[in-house]
Amino acid sequence: MRTERRIIKEGYDGNLEPLFEMEDKGDAIKITVDLPRVKKEDVEINATRDTVEITAKMNEAIAWERWGTIQKRMTFQTFQKQIRLPEPIDPDGASASFKNGILMILMPKVRRKVLINIE
Amino acid sequence: MEDEIVTIVEEAGVVHKSPIVIEGLPDVGLVGTIAASYIVEKMDYAKIGYVESDLFSPIMVVHDGKLHNPFRLYGNEQVVVVLSETVILPDAVYPMTRALTDWFKVIGAELVISVTGLPAKNRIDIEKPEVFGVADNDAAVKKLKDKEIELLEEGFIAGTYAIMLRECKKRSLNAISLLGQCFPVYPDPGAAASAIKALDKFVPLGIDVSDLIEKEEEIKVKARDLMRQTTLSSQQMQKSAEQDMPIMYR
Repeated sequence: MRTERRIIKEGYDGNLEPLFEMEDKGDAIKITVDLPRVKKEDVEINATRDTVEITAKMNEAIAWERWGTIQKRMTFQTFQKQIRLPEPIDPDGASASFKNGILMILMPKVRRKVLINIE
Repeated sequence: MEDEIVTIVEEAGVVHKSPIVIEGLPDVGLVGTIAASYIVEKMDYAKIGYVESDLFSPIMVVHDGKLHNPFRLYGNEQVVVVLSETVILPDAVYPMTRALTDWFKVIGAELVISVTGLPAKNRIDIEKPEVFGVADNDAAVKKLKDKEIELLEEGFIAGTYAIMLRECKKRSLNAISLLGQCFPVYPDPGAAASAIKALDKFVPLGIDVSDLIEKEEEIKVKARDLMRQTTLSSQQMQKSAEQDMPIMYR
């Protein structure tokens, strides 16, 4: 039931939620996002200390047809996702790359680990 | 065939002649599901039955306005394809694999091939995913070696295909798993294409995978929901253990 409601919601706002993976790299947080049908120049990333928002326009709209009684046809052209980060990051130090439809964002944490020497 | 609460329903009355079973159930990269769907479409296999259980998610599939079970069997006298369009919940894995392997025994399956993925952290840098193999007995290991499939030498395997191999072994069924290097949490048609090519060494289907590569991005978009559910289920099946090494090797 949860999936069905979300499909209808996506139909209204025209955005798809992309798949993503978040990894704690120690001093940084790494996020990869699967963005098929998207070109590098059509990706927009906005980051704050606590969140990162990705908006990406597909080069061609994708349509679901014959969804039974739910909807005859739905068309989507944009991926959008806001991700809440587990720790504060420094947005100015963030970097990103895009290869084969996979977006990779590396964001340094505000509080870096400090090596404590043992006396 | 019935095992506790999993039922295999044969609809078409096919008389099986030592078939090869190709199993493509949702797992990492949806490699098996994508491969099995493509094989069924390209070979135009008929639907011959379905699998149902109260342990499965309460989901039915509508294709062309007609209701279908999401867990279906396709094929003919020589080949059976096991395909699921819905996630297999952890509680269903054991009874489902027992019921299926009991049925494989009844139909006299010559070989059971699970097509699945092998998570590769550097997948983005891999142009042509390699396919590795695991077998349940010496005869099946020999089949892999004869077909020049590289063996997974040591390590843990987790998820549906791991239990499928175990249950096949208990029933003296020859079984192998073909694992294509894949993105762990993204649908991976490229890995499915590699797996189909490897599969062709065992079942000469002669399938051209160019359509699969061409439609790669469309498949990735449309398979997001199943991938998301599969990832959640996989976490409960200790899939991350596949990145670990066993304490004792022998």
